[in-house]
Amino acid sequence: MGIGTTIGGLGSAAAQPNDYGTLPVDPSLVTDSLAYNAAPPVFDPSGQPGVTAVYTHRGGERQITNTILVLPDAQAATAAVGGAAVGKVANGQTQPAAVGSGGTIVSGMSPDGTKSVTVLTFTQGNAAATIEFDGPPRDPAPADFVVELGQKQDTAIKDWQAA
Amino acid sequence: MRKIGMVLAIAAVMSGSMTTAQTTYAAQSSRDTNVYIQPAVPIGPKVQMFDCRGTTGDMGWFWRDGWRGWACYPC
Repeated sequence: MGIGTTIGGLGSAAAQPNDYGTLPVDPSLVTDSLAYNAAPPVFDPSGQPGVTAVYTHRGGERQITNTILVLPDAQAATAAVGGAAVGKVANGQTQPAAVGSGGTIVSGMSPDGTKSVTVLTFTQGNAAATIEFDGPPRDPAPADFVVELGQKQDTAIKDWQAA
Repeated sequence: MRKIGMVLAIAAVMSGSMTTAQTTYAAQSSRDTNVYIQPAVPIGPKVQMFDCRGTTGDMGWFWRDGWRGWACYPC
């Protein structure tokens, strides 16, 4: 009984909001170290357990929004990323990405046509990740950059889950 | 009269020495001025971008501050 309580306690501790702060991967890991400035993370975005971190390029024209939700199970995670790009990308092109489970990239323009938008979604177990890249209209985020950052994020999620 | 001549001679010698000294000093000063080089005022690092036909060798790369920060990007 005592052992069961201890294990349960550890499981609950892993889902504490404060721990989500270590989940998002800083884009500076795959860029020059001063390229992006991080805003303070937002915990439990839209009332869902997880974290959103926004990284703004020093030039101000590029922004990466990284949202990771930690949901009850893998099915809920898959459902969460299903419509992540809806309303964000107009006439977007969809392609698979070698990131996590069900990695998908949707790229196109914002509905108002003022910026390029690329959305990478994938799941890792019960975690649903959505990384949005907003940039200049003629300079969308390169696919190799999107995939590389996504893979780093996937690894960070796995490490976090295993901890 | 002889004393007066001696005084004038000494005065002339001293005057000549001083004139020579001034000339020498002036010459040295002039040479020093010519040799001395005012050190250039240091300026901060300057970023010079390359275009597709620039020093990247016209290989179709462009050096700019993009998604990966400062790096070479395809044109």
